[in-house]
Amino acid sequence: MSRTLTVAEMALREISRRRGVLILLALLPLAFYYSRRGEAYWQSVRFVSLGIGWTLSTAALFAGSAARAVEPRLRLSGYATHQLYLGRLAALWAVGLALIVPYFLLILIDLDQVRHGPVALILLLTVAVAAPFGLALSALLPRELEGMLVLLTVVAMQMMLDPDKAVAHALPFWFSREIGVYAIEHDAGSGHVVRGLVHALITLALFLVLVAVTSAVRLRRRPHVSMA
Amino acid sequence: MTVDDWLAAFAAELRRRRVEPAALVAEAAGHLRDSGRPPLQVFGPPTAYAVSLVDSLRGATTELRRPPSGEPRLAAVKIVKRYGRSTILDGVDLTVHAGEVVAVIGANGSGKSTLLRICAGLLAPDEGHVRIRGTLGYCPQDGGTADYLTPDEHYVLIGAGRGESRGAARAEGRAAAATLDWPRSSETVTARHLSGGTRQKLNLVLAGLGDPGVLLLDEPYQGFDNGSYLDFWQQVWRWRDTGKAVVVVTHRLGELDRADAVLDLTSRSAR
Amino acid sequence: MDRRTQWLRGVLDLCVLGALGRGESYGYEIAQRLEAGGLGSIAGGTLYPALLRLERLGLVVADWRAGDGGPARKYYRLSPDGAAALRSASADWAVFVDNVTAMMEVP
Repeated sequence: MSRTLTVAEMALREISRRRGVLILLALLPLAFYYSRRGEAYWQSVRFVSLGIGWTLSTAALFAGSAARAVEPRLRLSGYATHQLYLGRLAALWAVGLALIVPYFLLILIDLDQVRHGPVALILLLTVAVAAPFGLALSALLPRELEGMLVLLTVVAMQMMLDPDKAVAHALPFWFSREIGVYAIEHDAGSGHVVRGLVHALITLALFLVLVAVTSAVRLRRRPHVSMA
Repeated sequence: MTVDDWLAAFAAELRRRRVEPAALVAEAAGHLRDSGRPPLQVFGPPTAYAVSLVDSLRGATTELRRPPSGEPRLAAVKIVKRYGRSTILDGVDLTVHAGEVVAVIGANGSGKSTLLRICAGLLAPDEGHVRIRGTLGYCPQDGGTADYLTPDEHYVLIGAGRGESRGAARAEGRAAAATLDWPRSSETVTARHLSGGTRQKLNLVLAGLGDPGVLLLDEPYQGFDNGSYLDFWQQVWRWRDTGKAVVVVTHRLGELDRADAVLDLTSRSAR
Repeated sequence: MDRRTQWLRGVLDLCVLGALGRGESYGYEIAQRLEAGGLGSIAGGTLYPALLRLERLGLVVADWRAGDGGPARKYYRLSPDGAAALRSASADWAVFVDNVTAMMEVP
């Protein structure tokens, strides 16, 4: 446990020193929010969550790539693979939580026509999914640029695609739209929340497994070495 | 033991320690001829005499040097590695004992780093196996440090893996860094703002944290100035003298006489 | 190890420099000079490492030359640094010996 916490602490310190990423993290969702604030306030809730999802995934992508060089050495120093990715995830989740608090307060003050409970749920689930999403991308795509392009594509499709289409269900942040319907439309049933929650949990589980498996493969002890 | 046997054993030991034997053997032979006394009486056992001469030639380690204690700490056996059709390593053996420094040399692309990564278990060979007794410290050629962490944070991070407390890890790291002519107040600067040489020093210090029994160092002195380079070898010898098995990958031929044994990968791949 | 051997260990380098102060020479002859000087028989296993050390420190210089008709030998001679080191060390040594002698005298 203390090893996982040490990894988390160091990952937090690393992220906190990447000013560019921090500014992006803090301001991009705000830009998303205000781009829709005027004509379609209900859209702004969805956009802010997408913005948070995107920036946090990006931060996770960078954190994952930066860790690749050091992780083999940490593994040799006695860390178990799960301590490494869980520590990093914990740090990213902490960053995400810190990030959504001001945005939730903003929505609380700025928009009074929405259900605030479901908005909080959307933000929490977005943070939960975005961190392992970015880490999984960094494991599958060794170069940051490729990962960025995939993230951009995902967010763009998330905005463009008709959410009722089956293919839209495959997008990682589809749940935010689904729960968003319940948060914004007062006659919407709670079925949206259940569907969104199920989608978010499945997506989360999928990314966690992906992170665990890719890390375990990359950092496995090779069988040709016997330690005595 | 005849004079010729003694001289042959003496020459063999010098050669093993990478010292050209001709002049030293000729001088000893001349002395024996002049004095007419048996070599064991004049010089003692040939290996011990060779060791003391080599120490005199190199200096600095005279008091520290000890013969290897004999226990193999690292044994890589018949390692084969292929990339596509080209065979990089073709049945390479490498044995390193406690208290021994082995230099691995060879041209670019001869598989020096590959061999080291295989020994560290970071890369799987196509054939062969590696036995390691004790814990492993590995210093990669580059990329062993985190850009956005300070040296102190590196010590704590690596130390935690080895089960050390924060304070202990920090103290150990700082002490080790101090022996490498570490620039003042670099403990609190993030690694990306360190000079290339200082970064490599950090890399090296990290490899030695937590007292590993086997050290694998992959050209760890890039960017070192000459003084630091000498400090590096002092550090390697200190490790050796505390009974560690040390492997140094290098392309500098000048340092071969600093190691106890040499594995040349060039000749293998040229064969 | 007897006491004389222990003493000699500390000053062998200086004695070798002193022996070379009497003119350039090769290993075996240096050993004979030391023996003739009353230092006892110096084993080759002690002498040559000391010579190599002095050579590395630049206090003596050496070259290979054929002796008169005999095989080539490695001749050693004092360098200017070596001569200076010898001078300053012999002054220090004289003071040291006086102090030790005074210390050992029972009043």
